[in-house]
Amino acid sequence: MRLAMVRGHLTLTPAIAEYKGKRLVVLEPVTMENLRAKNGKGGGKALIAIDELGAHEGQLVAFTEGSEAANPFWPAKVPVDAYCAMIVDTVDV
Amino acid sequence: MFLARIEGTVVSTAKHPTLGGCRFLLAQRLEPDGSAADEPIVVVDWMGAARGAMVLVSTDGDIARVKLGNTTPARLSVVGLVDSVSAPGYRIGDIA
Repeated sequence: MRLAMVRGHLTLTPAIAEYKGKRLVVLEPVTMENLRAKNGKGGGKALIAIDELGAHEGQLVAFTEGSEAANPFWPAKVPVDAYCAMIVDTVDV
Repeated sequence: MFLARIEGTVVSTAKHPTLGGCRFLLAQRLEPDGSAADEPIVVVDWMGAARGAMVLVSTDGDIARVKLGNTTPARLSVVGLVDSVSAPGYRIGDIA
């Protein structure tokens, strides 16, 4: 998993049936430098992830990539590249 | 699999239900030239890795699936603590 700041969310019309009712968030991955500085900045390349935790803008989340991102929807086959697995309370570095 | 250095711990209350009780550590992947990757990663640890330790990280989520169930989004996990690395010409061990 990587850490990212939630920058917003998006809606799709139309979208594939598998995405119905799912929430998509815009994530900006956080670099080690920005994480240590605790400056709220990201620094990575933005991406879109599915979020089922209700992550809010400005919150730090950890997201999974790869085939494991689709595991939460198993056994359904949903095309997911990134999935918000945790809303992070604290990072001790 | 790749080598990483443990940098700290990650605490989360709101998370996927299969991740309850897991220990999450912040790690940085170590590159062969001795540098560390820009973006840190969050790994699941069942080995008891300490801060500053060099570990072997697997990207195969099947380990997590076996332990946490088929629906777990966990992917990166610590599969071993590194004693030593012998790789002439590579500087992986220099920054550990």
